[in-house]
Amino acid sequence: MTAPRLLLSLRSLSGPTLATRDRMLEIVARYREPESLAVTLAKAAAVPVDGVLTCATPMLRAALAELETEVPLFVMVPAMSEYERQELGPGLETAIAASRARVRGMAGLRVGWTELFHPKWAGGGDFVARMPVLVEAELAGLKRDALRGVVLDAWFTDLALAAGHAKFFESFARYVQRRCRAAAAFETRNLGTLLARLREWGVKPDFVIGPLNPSGLLMKPNPEELLAEVQRSDIPVITGELCAGGVDELESAAAYARERGAHGVAPDVAEVDDAGAELRTLLRATATA
Amino acid sequence: MRIGERAEIGTPLRPVRVGVVGLGRVGIVHASVASAMPNVEIVGLADARSNARREAHGVGFRAPMFDRMSTLITKTSPEALIVAVPHDLRPRLVREALESKVAVLTGRPLSPQLPESEALALLAQGNDTPLACMHALPFHPVFAEVRSMISAAPLGSIRRVRASSYRSLVFDPARQAAFAAEHAAGGVVAHEAMDALFYLIDCFGMPREIRATTLKLFGPLEDESHVMMTLPSGTGVGLDASWSVPGYPSPATVIECDGDNGRLLASDDAVELDLLDERAGFRSGHARLGLADLPQRARFDVDGEATYLLMGAFLAWVAGGEPPLHRAERSVRAQRVLEAIYTSASRSGEAIPLAATP
Repeated sequence: MTAPRLLLSLRSLSGPTLATRDRMLEIVARYREPESLAVTLAKAAAVPVDGVLTCATPMLRAALAELETEVPLFVMVPAMSEYERQELGPGLETAIAASRARVRGMAGLRVGWTELFHPKWAGGGDFVARMPVLVEAELAGLKRDALRGVVLDAWFTDLALAAGHAKFFESFARYVQRRCRAAAAFETRNLGTLLARLREWGVKPDFVIGPLNPSGLLMKPNPEELLAEVQRSDIPVITGELCAGGVDELESAAAYARERGAHGVAPDVAEVDDAGAELRTLLRATATA
Repeated sequence: MRIGERAEIGTPLRPVRVGVVGLGRVGIVHASVASAMPNVEIVGLADARSNARREAHGVGFRAPMFDRMSTLITKTSPEALIVAVPHDLRPRLVREALESKVAVLTGRPLSPQLPESEALALLAQGNDTPLACMHALPFHPVFAEVRSMISAAPLGSIRRVRASSYRSLVFDPARQAAFAAEHAAGGVVAHEAMDALFYLIDCFGMPREIRATTLKLFGPLEDESHVMMTLPSGTGVGLDASWSVPGYPSPATVIECDGDNGRLLASDDAVELDLLDERAGFRSGHARLGLADLPQRARFDVDGEATYLLMGAFLAWVAGGEPPLHRAERSVRAQRVLEAIYTSASRSGEAIPLAATP
């Protein structure tokens, strides 16, 4: 699997973001209808970006249905609204139940088949045993041809990271690569710490996504240690939160990340105004680099 | 203004053995953050619910697990406990830990009943055992900065303070009933605005009088409230709170402060300062400090910067450092105001005087 160089991230539409409240109100209003999201996806595909980093939300599915062109997807699991995220407990079962409730028709067969081998009665609450069910429920109904990667949400990544659950990281990556035939990745809010632990454990996902920006915002454990880990690690790093909540300018922030060893960048829809033009500029800069 | 302390990051300067009681969201977040903190060892986890223990194990925690806090204390000898349990269980477990001379960081308020909270704070003082509550707002980077700004007094004499605390949480009777079932101290003020209340008292001092009105939309607990606190100087400090307003998936706090020399506006995103004249090292005109401009001292982030910082400050205290901002007696002070708010609301907004408290 090749790690992407340029992704358009829809993370702020269904996840935590550093964008200000005012900016988020603007973005939510802009993408209230699937048609407007479809336009942005079409622009991103035309650039072309390596993919779109997104949750498999009903809104995304509706937007994809509007398009004739295929949009490569890096699917973040699980799909949760920010309201659900604030209520989420430590275990997987709530997320699995919510995800299964969204599965319709024949797509449920594959989920049921996976559950047969990873039943709740045997492994309820266990990240290793139950994650395949969550992944399959999230991917149900999506065109597998468009699937390029599966990315685990930072909430679960960081809990398992704090607990030192090496086996989980290994099993998630293996499952996604072998069964989904897609790149396996972890989103994190603790990029430096994650890279250090993965190196220590000898676990190699296809890439990791985390904050890296000139302001140093959300760069954990601190900007110096994080940048040193990015240089040291052989796992490709895709950087998110490039603009640090609107403080840093996108183009120079992307250049900053690349110069410090980032493999790729994932600007968020909240960080771009003209998706087509700005992504094209970033693509040119990536090619030059 | 009586602010001498800053919400500085502290981490324990020697190894501290920590146990976590209650393995719901709050407990697991604190266990995760503690695991990533230098000089902290998680020695045990406890929860009476077997599925909660199974889920914590499923996340990957390998510390010994117990169904009772007392067993955890006996078997692992922790120096500090994070007690993250519902309101109705909290006082008994906190008392049990304090009687075993184990330091406690727990939710707020300490107990739904003010006398019991006061008794617990006194017990901790008598035992010389650290006891603190999870008041996160003073540790939020923006509000920590605002606190030191207010301390420096660039606004001059404060004329008016307005604050709000909003969250989208309760939109039907069933949701409210879930909170009421835990014998909570109250509704939105006790649950969501308690941190803002704690913060306002910490920044501006104890009020001498309280007036409050509340609105009950979905059940016996208040869903919205309007509080007016009068400081000894006569300055009014207003606090509006609602947990039934759409558009706030996570808690949102705003504080506006008007003084003789200008205005301060703080939210979770940034603080803006408009000054007429240069004062206390602050230039005249408009200044804005966003999150990216402020120190980010936490080394690990699961649920925001503040969780790491408040726990670091508590565990530094346990290891022999200075008492932190969120120590129990300060939380109890905020609960006295909370009780006055509910008394006023129950009497249709009648003014309730508060005894002078340091």
